Amino acid sequence: MSAHAAPADDHHGHGHDDHHHHDPGFWKKYFFSTDHKTIGIQYGLTAMAFLAFGFYLMMVMRWSIAYPHQPLPEWMSWIFTDNWKARWLTDGKVTGETYNMFGAMHGTIMVFLGIVPLGFGAFGNYVTPLQIGAVDMAFPKLNMTSYWCYLAGGLTMCASFFMESGAAKSGWTNYSPLAGFADGQIVNQWLAGQTQWLIGLVLLISSSLLGSVNFITTIINLRARGMTWMRMPFFVWAMLVTGFLLLLAFPPLEAAGIMQLMDRVGHSSFFMPSGLYSASEGLADLSGGGSPLLFQHLFWFLGHPEVYVLLLPAIACVAEIIPVNTRRPLWGYKAMVYGVLTLGFLSFVVWAHHMYLTGMGPVVSTFFQTTTVLISIPSVILLTSMIISLWGGSIRFTPGMIWALAFLPMFGIGGLTGLPLAFNLVDLHLHDTYYVIGHFHYVVAPGILFGLFAGVYHWYPKITGRHMSNVMSHIHFWPSLICMNLIFFPMLTQGMAGFHRRWYNGGDAYMPSGEGSANVFSLIVEKHIDLNILMSMGAWAMAVAQIPFVINLFGSLLWGKKVESDNPYNATTLEWATPTPPGHGNFVTEPSVYRGPYEYSRPDCEDDYLPQWEEPKRDAAVPVASELPGTPTTHPSAH
Amino acid sequence: MEIPYIFTPRKDTGLVNSKIAIWLFLASEVMLFGGFFSAYIFLRLGADYPWPERTLPVLPGLINTFVLIGSSVTVIFAWMSLKLRKWHQFQFFMAITVVCAGVFMVLKGIEYNVKFHHQALRLKDYAVVEGHLGYELKDGVHVAHGEEPKDEDFALNHHGKKIEENMINFETSELSFNTVRYHHDWVEEIIAHAAERNAAITLKEDLKLGKEAPVLFDKDGNAAPGSKPLAMADGFAKGSVLSMKLLERITELHLEARSHNAELRTDAFREEWKKAHAQYPGKSDRQLAPDVKIDVTKLDLKVEHPSIGFEVQPATVFHFRPRDIQEGPASGTLRDGTALAGKMEESPMGFHYVDALDFRHLAMKVEEKVGDNPEAVEKAIEESWLIKSNHELKEIWEKQQKALGLLTAELAKKDRVPTEKDKYRVNWQEMVYYATTRLEDIKIEAGKYQMPHVKMELDEEFFGPNYAVRAKAQRPDGHLGSFPHLSVPRAEVQFASKFAPAWNTYYAIYFTMTGLHGLHVIGGALVLGYYLFCGKKMYLSNPEWLANRVEVGGLFWHFVDLVWIFLFPILYLM
Amino acid sequence: MADSPEAIKKATRLYLLIGAVLFGGTVLTVLVATVPSLDFGKHGFDTADLLIGLLIATVKATLVAAIFMHLNHEKRLIYWLFGLGIGAAICLLFLTGLAIWDPIHYNGFPTGVPGSEPVRHFK
Repeated sequence: MSAHAAPADDHHGHGHDDHHHHDPGFWKKYFFSTDHKTIGIQYGLTAMAFLAFGFYLMMVMRWSIAYPHQPLPEWMSWIFTDNWKARWLTDGKVTGETYNMFGAMHGTIMVFLGIVPLGFGAFGNYVTPLQIGAVDMAFPKLNMTSYWCYLAGGLTMCASFFMESGAAKSGWTNYSPLAGFADGQIVNQWLAGQTQWLIGLVLLISSSLLGSVNFITTIINLRARGMTWMRMPFFVWAMLVTGFLLLLAFPPLEAAGIMQLMDRVGHSSFFMPSGLYSASEGLADLSGGGSPLLFQHLFWFLGHPEVYVLLLPAIACVAEIIPVNTRRPLWGYKAMVYGVLTLGFLSFVVWAHHMYLTGMGPVVSTFFQTTTVLISIPSVILLTSMIISLWGGSIRFTPGMIWALAFLPMFGIGGLTGLPLAFNLVDLHLHDTYYVIGHFHYVVAPGILFGLFAGVYHWYPKITGRHMSNVMSHIHFWPSLICMNLIFFPMLTQGMAGFHRRWYNGGDAYMPSGEGSANVFSLIVEKHIDLNILMSMGAWAMAVAQIPFVINLFGSLLWGKKVESDNPYNATTLEWATPTPPGHGNFVTEPSVYRGPYEYSRPDCEDDYLPQWEEPKRDAAVPVASELPGTPTTHPSAH
Repeated sequence: MEIPYIFTPRKDTGLVNSKIAIWLFLASEVMLFGGFFSAYIFLRLGADYPWPERTLPVLPGLINTFVLIGSSVTVIFAWMSLKLRKWHQFQFFMAITVVCAGVFMVLKGIEYNVKFHHQALRLKDYAVVEGHLGYELKDGVHVAHGEEPKDEDFALNHHGKKIEENMINFETSELSFNTVRYHHDWVEEIIAHAAERNAAITLKEDLKLGKEAPVLFDKDGNAAPGSKPLAMADGFAKGSVLSMKLLERITELHLEARSHNAELRTDAFREEWKKAHAQYPGKSDRQLAPDVKIDVTKLDLKVEHPSIGFEVQPATVFHFRPRDIQEGPASGTLRDGTALAGKMEESPMGFHYVDALDFRHLAMKVEEKVGDNPEAVEKAIEESWLIKSNHELKEIWEKQQKALGLLTAELAKKDRVPTEKDKYRVNWQEMVYYATTRLEDIKIEAGKYQMPHVKMELDEEFFGPNYAVRAKAQRPDGHLGSFPHLSVPRAEVQFASKFAPAWNTYYAIYFTMTGLHGLHVIGGALVLGYYLFCGKKMYLSNPEWLANRVEVGGLFWHFVDLVWIFLFPILYLM
Repeated sequence: MADSPEAIKKATRLYLLIGAVLFGGTVLTVLVATVPSLDFGKHGFDTADLLIGLLIATVKATLVAAIFMHLNHEKRLIYWLFGLGIGAAICLLFLTGLAIWDPIHYNGFPTGVPGSEPVRHFK
């Protein structure tokens, strides 16, 4: 793909100003909007609401772990109606059933309803078309449908909290046969939480399918004049790869979801083996002959790429923020692009490392162990490139940048703690312990979430026209950083000691019951159980630490310092060429791209940066003729 | 603002947006069906029962294949017509395409319907019978052997539907509903059933959920004049008649009490912990826990009734679907938590027609135990419950053994052996043949290498055996009917289901894959139908626009065809 | 190829021909599967029938994809996009297959009945 092959469509290249558009009306403007920016904001706010809810569920769980004997305190149980207290708590204590339900829904909400929509839905939607110089997504109505499918799916899942059965309780992985049996006492299976989970899932998958088709088409076909592949910001590359992961990895889970739905409402036995016996129902009235392993394969075929779907948008945000604030080009841009493509390919062939304990044969295990270790190479390339990008830069500690900087070591810990899990012999010991939880959460919480916070702080001026408060962001940042490590580092220790992730009372049941009766494991549990309280305290402090963020996010709309320029950070990528905030249609004049995305610290220009859209001067020592054939008729500029 | 590259391709990619999008979508569809195909492989190779090869009627599937291929050709012609700007020709071809989709779905519907009404049963010894169930008759009605019951002889449930002869019959003297979870429809059925048999279901003892004295309510929820109406009552006297209103009122009060108590108990428990912590500051929760208790006497708790007991006078036989009840000799529990006390009655499964026998699973189980040993299998079949207890089936089996001998000899000439299906399965055509042929007249057609069977009529290719005709066929012994009746005691039943997804993983994957494919057919037909009926405006504004759209819709349609090209052989022929 | 009116007219016969081949292939598959005297391999269904059926289906599918869906003269990008889908599907099928047939050992699915041995289903 070369530069001379990106002309605008002859008939439809004009008319980017929206003066002749009449006002669409309140509902169409803020709710049923087809503008990618509005949809991005909708995604962002909804996702943050879900994140807050998922966080709440976790706090209840952490109470049960730290204080299994005490009733839930008033400040956490106020959300429970009295009827719920009766159904889900005993004398105010969290029951095992409730813990399972909250655990399953915490995972589901955080992964499917929180982080993916925030990373891919919100940032992807808002930033991608701007960065490639497009007027909107390729299919704006599809984009809107995608958001509403997501919301419908999310609400369907959460509505089941209000049902007699409660929400899903079989873990966010929803393994059969447990998930096939759960809520079996409910006569109308369509009204069981476990079934609603599957229906919600199918809606969510439809949503991300529509989204990913839209993203990929947009990136392929709507790039501005001169925006060749290798001039695309890394963010766009990451979104492209994320789009492909969603597109190709989600459908097998949809297949699995449909089959599990059949198992639940049609009493089929896709995932139900013969001779299944449960304490509550006796010998199952099922044909049997199915395979629980099949579900795990199909689930993890999605599940692993899903991790990269979570991760890539965060890396993408950080990779945009670092060059701007170090005033240096992104180190190894090409290596990072090839790295992220390799990561995308490899992520399809590593999934069974989640299944070492299922009795797979050693050949398969070895295969997946090898690919898993391989995939750490592109991950390390990405992380290292970003770290090296800092070297010798004149770093500006903007609110976005501090989060981006914290992302690097936090994600580093998350990634490195994953290596032992890749080896099946080590995994035999660590599987399903808090070590896995610690590893995964280091990647997702202080890693990905920090990256996304960085994105919020970074693009906020473009989205709203006002800066977020710097002081407040520091008040948000430092406690968050400390609390994150307080929560998750002890998990690694506990996990190596053998603490299981599904103990609803945090190991209390394994404590030595009296003199002389203790076995070795009890002594280990006794040694580490008090960490539970530390971690739970950390979690609650973490909640408090988010208050400044909420105030900052909404308060800055009113009190924030107004941006003075459309390009307040002196950045080079195209989103800063738009008016602030960008109107419908994004660009005032059709943008053209003359160079790569990270032209900072160039000795040959007066400023230390050269935006992608700035027309090269003929007399400068910049290669011009080869960069773009013909001169664009208009000169886009940032006002 | 307009999105570029809707009509004209972008120069460097050479593509319009919709073309990229549809191929991306198809790529994800490949993954979706890939998931199902890998499930198919996994389930088939991992099956611990004989996979039912070539079990579906081929003719409807074959016609459907033709229909889909034909529509694939016509959709291409429709697109070509647009390219050549021939609107009417486009309409013609597109109309054929949409009609084809309709035909496909109608045939699929017939196929599904036949399956959903066909019963299968796996006995404890792994013998399988197939056929149609009879219906429960009204109490006291008896139909003489060989006669068909009349419409008014059948018992009906409270929806007015006939009840299949596959129910757990439980003589119930006491019922106890779960106050929160009882299933409305089931309770209504119980009330209607009891009313029909003049049985009274009344509260077993006084139920006090408040301060008022218990009041007696009748079946409509009315009390004696002067006492509180049901909507305000909180005491219910022993002998009150079961009604939905009564249950709902009790549930309401119970939930109220439950919430009230939960609130009080939670607060009290918090208080206790606070006290305990203040009293023993050094002690851990774990040490304190056994002694931290609520003193319920100090709390103003309301009465909760998690279950409500009723007695049934006189004890009455209720019918429950096997999946809904866990039964024991003297008690049972329904899925919604209703507890029954009484006596389990005989609850046979009654086959009105048995139209196939299948001993493949039994043979497989025997072989798992003793290895490849045909004599052991033969012996096990002869000793199976079916053959031992039903002389008609025994006779059929003897004839089948003779036919098998003939086939084996014939195949031996070609150095081949009969299949498992030849050996251990009697399908309905074979069954009709055996029923209507004397043992000594059994023969096989030379050169066909098939077990003897009667020819299928055209309608039977689609709808299965025509019972109206086949059931009246003359048997050599003078009796009428080719399909034996069979009554299977509950103790012999291992697993029963219609030929629905529940029957085995083959039917599960068959229904799921073809069902999903059918949804694709419907979706595709809707889109193509939209272009057919509402495409004129698009055509007039820019014919190329409609042509692009039809091309994209056509690509999807071809993909649907392509999936069927694989589904047909793997589900119908293999 | 099929974008100018002349080329489209020319292609008509090709489409009809392909349609006929698809019909023929279907009939052939059914005959091989249902008529015992046309049976390949052993009597009844066996690997030979499986291979023949899948082979014909693959040929038919290829024809549909190549001619009807114009994959025989499509833009390079489309090959990439669709190819990725096919590649991922192959990963899914191949690797789950590998998990079933681990060359070293496979214990089979446990029957779930207490005290019984796992059943080895793959011979």
